[in-house]
Amino acid sequence: MQKRKIIRRILDNITEKLLTISGAVTGIAILFITFFLFTEGAALFQSPQVEHGYALYVNSSNPVNTLQPEETKAIFDAEITNWNTLGGKNSEIKIFRIDDAFQIYPESELGENYELLPAKLGEIISKEENILAFLPTQYAPQGTAVKALAAKNIQPKEYFLGKEWLPTATPVPLFGVLPLVLGTLLVSIVALIIALPLGLGVAIYLSELASDKQRRLLKPVIELLAGIPSVVYGFFGLVVLVPIVQKTLNLPVGETAFTGSLLLAIMALPTIISVAEDALRNTPRAMREASLALGATQWQTIYRVVIPYAKSGISAAVVLGIGRAIGETMAVMMVTGNAAVMPHSLMESVRTIPATIAAELGEAPAGGAHYQALFLLGCILFVFTMIISISAEIISKKKTYKTH
Amino acid sequence: MNKKLSQQIAFIIFKLFGVLVVAILISILGFIIVNGISVINWEFLTAFPNEGMTTGGIFPAIVGTLYLIIGSLLFAFPLGVMSAIYTHEYAGKGWIVKTIRMMTNNLASIPSIVFGLFGMALFVNKLNFGDSIIAGSLTLGLLALPVIIRTTEEALKAVPNTYREASLALGATKLQTIKKVVIPAAMPNIITGLILSIGRVSGETAPILFTVAAYLLPQLPTGIFDQAMALPYHLYVLATSGTDLGASRPMAYGTALVLIMIVLTMNLLASFMRRKLEKKRSK
Amino acid sequence: MKKQLALSLALCSMAFTTSAQKIKGSETVLPISEKAAQVFMKSNSANKVTVTGGGSGVGISALIEGTTDIAQASRKIKFSERQKLQESGKAVKEITVAIDALAVIVHPSNKVNKLTKEQLEGIFTGKIKNWKEVGGEDIKIVPYARETSSGTYEFFKEHVLSNKNYMSGIMSMPANGSIIQSVSQTKGAIAYVGLAYLNSSVQAVSVSFNKGKTFTAPSVANAKNKTYPVVRPLFYYYLTKSESKVKKFIDFSLSSEGQKIVEEVGYIGVK
Repeated sequence: MQKRKIIRRILDNITEKLLTISGAVTGIAILFITFFLFTEGAALFQSPQVEHGYALYVNSSNPVNTLQPEETKAIFDAEITNWNTLGGKNSEIKIFRIDDAFQIYPESELGENYELLPAKLGEIISKEENILAFLPTQYAPQGTAVKALAAKNIQPKEYFLGKEWLPTATPVPLFGVLPLVLGTLLVSIVALIIALPLGLGVAIYLSELASDKQRRLLKPVIELLAGIPSVVYGFFGLVVLVPIVQKTLNLPVGETAFTGSLLLAIMALPTIISVAEDALRNTPRAMREASLALGATQWQTIYRVVIPYAKSGISAAVVLGIGRAIGETMAVMMVTGNAAVMPHSLMESVRTIPATIAAELGEAPAGGAHYQALFLLGCILFVFTMIISISAEIISKKKTYKTH
Repeated sequence: MNKKLSQQIAFIIFKLFGVLVVAILISILGFIIVNGISVINWEFLTAFPNEGMTTGGIFPAIVGTLYLIIGSLLFAFPLGVMSAIYTHEYAGKGWIVKTIRMMTNNLASIPSIVFGLFGMALFVNKLNFGDSIIAGSLTLGLLALPVIIRTTEEALKAVPNTYREASLALGATKLQTIKKVVIPAAMPNIITGLILSIGRVSGETAPILFTVAAYLLPQLPTGIFDQAMALPYHLYVLATSGTDLGASRPMAYGTALVLIMIVLTMNLLASFMRRKLEKKRSK
Repeated sequence: MKKQLALSLALCSMAFTTSAQKIKGSETVLPISEKAAQVFMKSNSANKVTVTGGGSGVGISALIEGTTDIAQASRKIKFSERQKLQESGKAVKEITVAIDALAVIVHPSNKVNKLTKEQLEGIFTGKIKNWKEVGGEDIKIVPYARETSSGTYEFFKEHVLSNKNYMSGIMSMPANGSIIQSVSQTKGAIAYVGLAYLNSSVQAVSVSFNKGKTFTAPSVANAKNKTYPVVRPLFYYYLTKSESKVKKFIDFSLSSEGQKIVEEVGYIGVK
């Protein structure tokens, strides 16, 4: 008997300890997520600009010592063709890739494990004054007339302010997140502009006008809208919304930022409606009655008394609606066309942060610059949503402050 | 007169908005149901995909989603309930609880793709689970955690304090009170939360993209380290890939319908339970 | 003798029943693997094969990380990827399982039905912006590409764009299926897909790689007689150390039965 009691006490003790531990679990989860995202993401700035394992080489007589990533890209895209644009001599740039070596020398001359390759590459570079060679560092060319261009790491400025997202471009991948950030914001904000009046209208209707019967119909409808999985929305958007947008607006393409915004507006509606309705409903009855007693109509009461009173709650609805839109992945990926371009107009394709992560993460080898760049995108998204959720909290706190 | 008119106009607009929302839901559901209903039959639900996913069924995807639901809730449900019990019954009103509650709120607002990112980094790569049911379940479990914590906390809040006081007055310990009095009273509400999170977990695509989802599995997974197909990812695949989109479209409609049925049944069940409880309480 | 052979075969198959083989990677090779896996498992019920897409890059990095047994790829393994394998002390084997011709497709109403390599390069790098510049109507050109993880994306870049980067902000689609859909809906669209994906909702364009002297339409026959220029091999990659595990499936896919599947799916066999 005594023994059993002791065992029970021990068990109870363990249970209580377990409860304490699990109480901390969300905190731990958040810390873990933050830690992982940021360590992986921050490592990007320790990665070289040039593709991992490669370097750029020139002839030592070449006065150019370093190239900006955009310059390198322009050269390899044949947009810059002369060294003098880069502060060098007035002569044409000769691009050389490792595969070219195999066309000059038969494989037999390069040795079994390519051990003769570095010397041959050195020979090629020494002979050609205007060469720009893009070669693996493993076979770094040997010779006195060879100069490696200074290898810099990726700069935070290039990442956060860069305007081009070309993560697999060779020889220098470009990780400019500006188009993605702006694309995400554009799609989400326009979605909110569409959804806000609609959501607010429905919320007012639900809280002020609807009869019990109508409310009993509308409430589940809104819950169901919130429950539909985003991939189903995406499928619906792809099959129905894209062609409709394209035809009715007579656009060259149907996959536009606007299509994404429309879909996101539908998806953000339930959040906006339910939060705003709660806020409206919380207006004290006495205030309404006072307004009505003074001779105001119901509508005047709503927009002069109820809405101003519920302002902070409505703002929270706005903020949470944006939060829902910003992080949405599948639906947006399926309808916006995913063009990584600085958004110029609503009627063009955009690429959002979540869609970029979803489309590219699988391909990026773990630990590479591309992988890290995607994690950093995750960090940006994480920071965005944190700001949003904290400000929603602060806004709704304000309300309780005011009432007392 | 003018006042009345503007009121009428405003109210008509609001009513129209309400009708519009209903119309949106009906058009989405109607679109899926009308196109999908003819596809669904016994074979579709119990056969494997065949002929480049243009014939056959979606059985492995249904089973995979089932596994993921079970796996993620096996992990998230006890943890979430216990966490809520701690913050609600044990921890005081101090800054610890406040911080935990804030973090729970924040966890709920993190986009699902970020969970996917994290799940891939930690479970798939760091812990070396590979693409597997366990990695996917843990990722989805994290996603369901805030839902469960929040609904459980609300359930606990709804248990009147007099219950606790009565039990304590009879000489029961705090833990006994919780076990014998509080939890049984809160159970129906906690179950509602569980059902809601099933709905959430079964519909998510982004978190499973890099942690578990397989394009095609010709047989069912046999262990927790196997990959699994899942309905939402299968729908994504059917909607975007395939050599013959025209022929695989019906399959996509069917899959979307099955997915919607699962998710919406869960949601309706939860709101039905909640309403019933509310009625009971108001009596 | 026959008995012995049967016995050893049975033993072999028992030894190979260990665990599921995972195939992962290119969406272009996917239809082959998918169908081959289904047929293969009908006759070898003990062998399990799972097939996942994601893109060639996904497949090869999964192979390097050890999360897949076979990587299906629509491009050759990259030098940097080979280096990573070397660093981790693994060696990889390459099998050409089929040949694919890449078809350039446009909207069915488009009057332009032939393009030169130079024109294609101009279009996809963003230098040519309107169809009237290549003999069509006055409509804006809307180029679609695959996501950057796809081997098709890389192959097209290397062989048609002379290694130049795509125009920034090209529409990128996660899978071949959605490319077909988008092109069939979009008047000014142009894109490229594997031959197997070609259907009547889009129009294939004849291409010329000799400055417009001869134009060839993408077809199995033209790819087979090597007059069509944009062809590429499709690969299976596996680690040499896991050869025993995957050999049976690889052999099957190269057998006449496997190659029949390749042709059924719409690609060109290697034998």
